[in-house]
Amino acid sequence: MSSCGNPATESDALMPRRPKFDKGKNCVKCKDAPGNIVIRHAVYCKACFFPLVAFKFRRALEPFVNPKPDGPRRTALKPAGNLLLGFSGGVGSTVLLDLVNRSYIVNQKAELRRDGGKDHPRHDKVWKRVIVCYVELGDALPRRKDKTAEIAEVVSHYEDVEFVPLRVQDAFDPSWWRRIYGDQALPQLRVSLENEELAAVLTNPPSTEPLGSLRSYLSSLPTPTAVASALQSLIRVLLLHTAVETKSSHLLLGTSLTSLAISLISGIGQGAGFNIEQEIQEEWVPDIQPASDSNGSEWLGGYQKGVRIIRPLRDVGLKECAFWAWWEKLQVVGEDRAGWPESRQDIGGLTKDFIMRLEKDYPSTVSTIVRTCAKLSPRGDVSGKCVLCERPAQEGVQEWKARISVRTTAQATDAVVLSSSSTPRTDDAAAAQLAPHLCYACHTTLTSRNARPPPPLFPSVSKESSVTLPAWVGPRMRRKVGEGEMKAAIQEFLLEE
Amino acid sequence: MPPKNCAICNSARAILKRPKTGQLICKDCFFYVFETEVHNTILEAELFKPGDRVAIGASGGKDSTVLAHVMKTLNDRYNYGLELFLLSIDEGITGYRDDSLETVKRNQEQYDMPLKILSYDELYGWTMDAIVAQIGKKNNCTFCGVFRRQALDRGAAILDVDHIVTGHNADDIAETVLMNIMRGDIARLGRCTSICTQGEDTIKRSKPFKYAYEKEIVMYAYFKKLDYFSTECIYSPDAYRGHARAFLKDLEAARPSAIIDIIHSGEAFEIKEVVKATQKLQQTCKRCGYMSSNELCKACTLLEGLERGMANAGVTDRARKRMDAEGPAPENLRTIPFFQQPNGLRRTEIAIAYTPSS
Repeated sequence: MSSCGNPATESDALMPRRPKFDKGKNCVKCKDAPGNIVIRHAVYCKACFFPLVAFKFRRALEPFVNPKPDGPRRTALKPAGNLLLGFSGGVGSTVLLDLVNRSYIVNQKAELRRDGGKDHPRHDKVWKRVIVCYVELGDALPRRKDKTAEIAEVVSHYEDVEFVPLRVQDAFDPSWWRRIYGDQALPQLRVSLENEELAAVLTNPPSTEPLGSLRSYLSSLPTPTAVASALQSLIRVLLLHTAVETKSSHLLLGTSLTSLAISLISGIGQGAGFNIEQEIQEEWVPDIQPASDSNGSEWLGGYQKGVRIIRPLRDVGLKECAFWAWWEKLQVVGEDRAGWPESRQDIGGLTKDFIMRLEKDYPSTVSTIVRTCAKLSPRGDVSGKCVLCERPAQEGVQEWKARISVRTTAQATDAVVLSSSSTPRTDDAAAAQLAPHLCYACHTTLTSRNARPPPPLFPSVSKESSVTLPAWVGPRMRRKVGEGEMKAAIQEFLLEE
Repeated sequence: MPPKNCAICNSARAILKRPKTGQLICKDCFFYVFETEVHNTILEAELFKPGDRVAIGASGGKDSTVLAHVMKTLNDRYNYGLELFLLSIDEGITGYRDDSLETVKRNQEQYDMPLKILSYDELYGWTMDAIVAQIGKKNNCTFCGVFRRQALDRGAAILDVDHIVTGHNADDIAETVLMNIMRGDIARLGRCTSICTQGEDTIKRSKPFKYAYEKEIVMYAYFKKLDYFSTECIYSPDAYRGHARAFLKDLEAARPSAIIDIIHSGEAFEIKEVVKATQKLQQTCKRCGYMSSNELCKACTLLEGLERGMANAGVTDRARKRMDAEGPAPENLRTIPFFQQPNGLRRTEIAIAYTPSS
């Protein structure tokens, strides 16, 4: 029907309805069996569907298993550490866990050959330990159900898989941080969200009420978008540090092609264009030495390679994931949407609705988005790692913001001088500005307001003028560079003694 | 709500909430920040140098009307030393362009700037009314967009200026970033956030309103009492752009900084070098001399399709092949006059405010 709603006019503006499949009703792979699923106009039967998805999974993962990516040679898979799987309970991570189990746990046993004995190196597992980590959001948002028990039950169906449940408030818990990094956890950072500069002060001893700190932090954020994106960022960084704790070299996420397209567009909508590459695949190196590696040897050896974050379902659409789960009768606990009942929709939610709607009319949209974004690289210099999300931050962000949105009668150049001259002092009592240490997206999360403030998250939690930031921010604002790290930085210039 | 003081000068009473920052400010401070941001944009990109001949293109819509006013104001205030012109394109859409051209003519008198109006009919022998009569509304934006781009360059050449500045606002740019990602147009994605584009032998174009919100442009026109015509084209069923625009408006409602955040994202990435190497090299159209990525430029292909009654030849590859199979173009085919670069390609500016339609 035409845009005015009158089918009698503008008939030439109508688009002909495209058939759901391009060629025939039989499977395009085996050319024989009648099709059971249409994937972007191509028809597949159920029997061909499973190898297809498993192939896409391995193609996206295996070239990146070895420390130096060198092609999809299965026999030569030798990761530097263990495998951590970020589990949300959604359909993507449920399918991912099933695929990891089939490919690297169950199959290993089934493939055992008699010759060479059971201890033959051929029978070594690719991953010595497979750990599933779930971050519970139940306490962060009102009227949320705690799903830890349900998730634990799902994970318990898989043998040889360890389960690490976390709560999102652990991000504010000094004891959680101390467990991984020892006493380097001592200072915490409090920040004032009143203005763009984000005045910050280190506090010592740290707050011992992680839930209170979390709720106060979320309640003080200016928009529902900020709350959703802060939670996502907290989960991501919690998983990264858990990877360090569990000596994992790889962190797998169950992001499907559809979810990846959504998160790419949503990230662009929140100013995270500089981190497009990390949104697809990321190498993260912890810059604080874990307590378990106090002698520094393993730190300089294994962990310097960091954690590789891979999304092995990046070529598998949400529909395919759903079919896999359905046909395999997997128990999907389900994910709640971001936000809370009274809040307006956030940018992530709007993007999800938009992409899902668009995909109905333009079925190639999600893969086009992902393929286009894979052709992009960051432009400009990196100023360092954002202290909040731990992703590379672009240089000159504050100057750019001051120039584009003039907020005072002083010339923009004055504003630039103001922000760039605010180098933070490093002693405990020093007041500093957080803004220069943040990436564009995190700074926007903390400062960008809407015409109307969001409805309160928890009636009992009032907005505070300053809030505690996650445990990893303080140590990075006043990090003492260790001898090992110094040596690593100048290693290539040192002559052998 | 009790009256509040302006968040910027802290003395006058605030009368508006700034769409871009959410600050409550007074009218004078709004003019100050709006104009200063455009000035910052011009300075940062080093768009002008004294003595440049700058033609301000005008559609008679809000963007071009405000742009003409701001360009004149900034030129006087900061002594840019520019010679300003107005350039309008008449697409030949009855009832759409006629009224808005009256606004442009009034601007010509108000600002004392020479005006050149160039029509599609004069240049291509086709008005948009005639094109739509042949092809219908589907894909008509492709014709209009391609024809307009070339018409602007040719108008600039007639005015003897060699630099075109378009009046796209922040909303247009953000929308284009999203749309180019969603339809995989990597070449356009790479250049759509550039404030200034220029090939080796092409006319320079810039966008001084690149960071100006559409709502603030309307606000500026309202408080300055500038009148303009709505330039929503009666032939624009570009569904895909419509989707992107509606989505952008939703994002802006969720968080007003979204528009500027998308532009920042667009500026923070670039096309990987390996991908750039696969892009087509620019050449000159063998028929009309205009820049092109193929032997024939897009406008000549579209015109040939129209003339030979195969309008889709310029729109889809399949239709193009079908037309090629019909044989070469007849000798008496109507063509676009050969393009002559302005003398010496002086670095001048033409500011033209058109909402992109394709």
